Amino acid sequence: MLEPILIDVASLNLPALLPMAILVVGALAVICADLAVKGLNRSFLTMITVLFIILDFGAVIGYTGPARGFFDVLLVDGIAMMAQVIILVASALFLPLSLSHRHFRAFRMAEFYALFMFMIVGFQCMVVSDNLILIFIGLETSSLALYTLIALHNRAKAFEAAIKYFTMGALAAGFYGMSALIFYALTGSVEIYQIEKVLMARHFEPLIGVLAATVFMLGALGFKLSLVPSHTWTPDVYEGSSAPLAGYMSVVPKIAGFVVAMRLFEMLVASGVVWVEHILYVAVVLTMTLANLTALVQEDVKRMLAFSSISHAGFMMAAVLIGTTQANTALFLYWTLFMFTNLGAFTMLWIVRHRKNLWDERYQHPYTKFSGLVKIMPTTATIMGIFMFALAGMPPFSVFWGKLYLISAAINSEFIFLAVIIALNSAIAVYYYMKLVIYMFLKEPVTVDAKLYATNASTPLKVIVGVAVIFTIFAIVFVEPLLTVITKYVIASGF
Amino acid sequence: MEHILSLLVFFPAIAGLLGFLVVKESIRAYGISVSAIEFFLSIILWIGYDGSNAGYQFVEYYPFISSYGMSYYLGVDGISLFLVILSTFITMIALIALSIEKEIKNLIISVLFLEMTMVGVFVILDVIWFYAFWELSLVPMLYIIGAWGSANRMYASIKFFLYTFAGSVLMLVGILYMGFLYHEATGIWSFALPDWYLLQVPFETQLWLFGAFFLAFAIKVPMFPFHTWLPYAHGQAPTIGSIILAAVLLKMGSYGFVRFSLPLFPDASVYFLIPVAVICIIMVIYAAMIAYAQKDMKQVIAYSSISHMGIVILGTFAMNAEGITGSIFLMLSHGIVSGALFMLVGVIYDRRHTKLMSDFGGLASVMPNFATIYGIMLMASVGLPLSIGFVGEFLSLAGFYRISWVMTLLAGTGIILGAVYMLVLYKKSFFGEVVHAENKTLKDLNAKELTALIPLVALVVILGVYPKPVLSVIDMSVQKMLVLMDQKAVVQETKDLLFKANTIGGTY
Repeated sequence: MLEPILIDVASLNLPALLPMAILVVGALAVICADLAVKGLNRSFLTMITVLFIILDFGAVIGYTGPARGFFDVLLVDGIAMMAQVIILVASALFLPLSLSHRHFRAFRMAEFYALFMFMIVGFQCMVVSDNLILIFIGLETSSLALYTLIALHNRAKAFEAAIKYFTMGALAAGFYGMSALIFYALTGSVEIYQIEKVLMARHFEPLIGVLAATVFMLGALGFKLSLVPSHTWTPDVYEGSSAPLAGYMSVVPKIAGFVVAMRLFEMLVASGVVWVEHILYVAVVLTMTLANLTALVQEDVKRMLAFSSISHAGFMMAAVLIGTTQANTALFLYWTLFMFTNLGAFTMLWIVRHRKNLWDERYQHPYTKFSGLVKIMPTTATIMGIFMFALAGMPPFSVFWGKLYLISAAINSEFIFLAVIIALNSAIAVYYYMKLVIYMFLKEPVTVDAKLYATNASTPLKVIVGVAVIFTIFAIVFVEPLLTVITKYVIASGF
Repeated sequence: MEHILSLLVFFPAIAGLLGFLVVKESIRAYGISVSAIEFFLSIILWIGYDGSNAGYQFVEYYPFISSYGMSYYLGVDGISLFLVILSTFITMIALIALSIEKEIKNLIISVLFLEMTMVGVFVILDVIWFYAFWELSLVPMLYIIGAWGSANRMYASIKFFLYTFAGSVLMLVGILYMGFLYHEATGIWSFALPDWYLLQVPFETQLWLFGAFFLAFAIKVPMFPFHTWLPYAHGQAPTIGSIILAAVLLKMGSYGFVRFSLPLFPDASVYFLIPVAVICIIMVIYAAMIAYAQKDMKQVIAYSSISHMGIVILGTFAMNAEGITGSIFLMLSHGIVSGALFMLVGVIYDRRHTKLMSDFGGLASVMPNFATIYGIMLMASVGLPLSIGFVGEFLSLAGFYRISWVMTLLAGTGIILGAVYMLVLYKKSFFGEVVHAENKTLKDLNAKELTALIPLVALVVILGVYPKPVLSVIDMSVQKMLVLMDQKAVVQETKDLLFKANTIGGTY
């Protein structure tokens, strides 16, 4: 006879679940509304979704309860809060890109918005937990939703991208499951802090098991974070997706992955027993350098941005590798600044998107398309140039401050070689970002028809670009308050 | 007067932004007016500057990212005061002489932004900000060369940009490492240069840091063997780009040596003295020889720039007041003279659309005023006594004489070689018969060009005859810096050498 399980509702700490619950309700509501009413307008759907995201944001910000909740699988600590803020702000800024001037089938379907919300819920589950199972659920929820969102774009390339992403993602999920399984077998727990305790007590014996689990986890997270060598899907998937989704993928899934990596790897790196530090070191250096070198030879701006975002992910992984408080602060600072700049860059691509590939048989955004843009649309060219300089790490624009803080964190932890590698990679990166600037400012235009470049522009898009530009140019003003807040939260979460 | 430096830095930038609203017809007048106001501001700065005080003046200090030790920190001393005035003056003169019509609005706005970054580099005392301005100065220059240059401009501008940017990233690592060292020593974060001046750095660390900074400065100067971007950049740049590049941007590198390398790493500077001096001598002689072999007038002046910058760096590394003061004065004089020479080449290029010396000959009879001014500038460049060029060169070499008379002798041959290639250039272009029919109808200097050139000529003569007001101000600050170096040195050999270099009659 089994004992009845008694659960005290108060101890469940349901408010911790509230942010995710809001979006789940929102997603279901959108689907139901779509069943009841024919032909909901995309602007209505977009704004409703943004409103739900804002409600969610409020619930995240306003949460004051204990760190643990819901059978202790939820862990709402400082980094979880910050990661959620980045995820939600990025989502709220990327989603209105659906309100482009031209209509795309994907944005007319209510399912798109419902899936979008489910995806955000998945990302949130990944960051507000240190339970390997809940992280897995979050990872899969978000990934499956994302595959479908990519496929909804209804282009041949989009299907290819979705299939590619799906197959690789399934493999990564398998790796993740295997890793979690081994950790459980070793320690009898799936909670990271418990795993850490047990492993510490046993001095990471049996080492072979820990190593196997670490390797599988590296494979899984390496795929999510597009670390070399599991980065090959990235450019193809970005190229096949619509620009808003590509930009979204370059920011949000990665921050969720970084949080998981921080929770898991920093304990392994700090242990000093496992050679995960060396492996990570190699992966970081390779990711930064190879992605940069490959970006040099791209002919398409979107692919170039894809490779460059791999390189930026490498910088961030360096922060996880260093693992000091300053490095973790640098990670969040960098990613916040990078989010706005990347949002700007991908939005610009979205604005200049044309229905036909007029410039190249294969690519939508070849460099030649931007030739002499300064003579056709001076403002557009200038804004795009600012984004490129910012991504390249030119002072005084946004990403420079993140890079500065990151290199500084590396130096302060005696990672001089890493600091030099990061600096040299910045120098390499300048070249391919400059390439676009040179095409826009120094070459002669191939066409003088300004209409070709503005077919997709609309007021919401311009507003979003405006927000991104302001953040990019005046980042210098936001750095200090951001640093203060981020440092406080990082220290509070014990990283 | 409290905020004059902030005004000096940001006035051109604000004016540049407002420039977008000015109609195309009056943008040239707008540019000249803005740069003239900026120049007068810098003159007011000089008038208000207390020449008997060696420290930083007009200091503005606001904490900026205080948790990380960054601040908005401005100040001038004798070392940077005249470089600021040079920047504003040359910008004004270059805009007066501007003869380009194509997309003039973007050009003038770029020049104004460039002026902001140049003045910023010279007056900022917070090192992160210094780095920001240092890198930012590349962007307008890239645009100026790449959009208004001649046929091969794309390659030249990219080469210039990447070369200098790549050289600077290691300096950033060096800067952050210095910040880390300061934090280790004192427990607080600070990137303010006057704070760093109080820090004693261990000898081995100094060597590495000196290397990191050296690369950035050496590429900017440009020192052999990192000089290869300069001929390309000058060869393709429009006249205004060449003037600003030669007159001011190259001085950022030599300023960096005086402001950073020597006082921050005195032991490393002394340790590397001989290698650096050897590089300088190679620059002086090698660049002079290449200059002699050129067929293109502009390339001769470009290579002569490298040759003169060699003497500047040699003077800087003389480690005594005469040498360093002389090298700073030579920076000013080279800025004025090379700016004027590039302007003169631009004048003849506008008329004939060629820069090859073989296409000229006998110009002296056709364009007497042009030939006269050209001759004066040429003599100043060679270092004729009583012209501005002589003072700096003489002091730099006299200073270095205390370190090594052999090397000074070798570097001194640079002056003779300079006379050789310059006089040959003059002979080929200006003397003899007019062989080309096109040259018979060339017009002499017009009012606009004279307006730009006469002040330069006046300066060359006045400062050549009576350089004292400038020299004494520079000397005050340099003396202070040398005392600082002596205090900061951690190795006895450095102190010995500084003592020897600063007393009469010491030789190596």
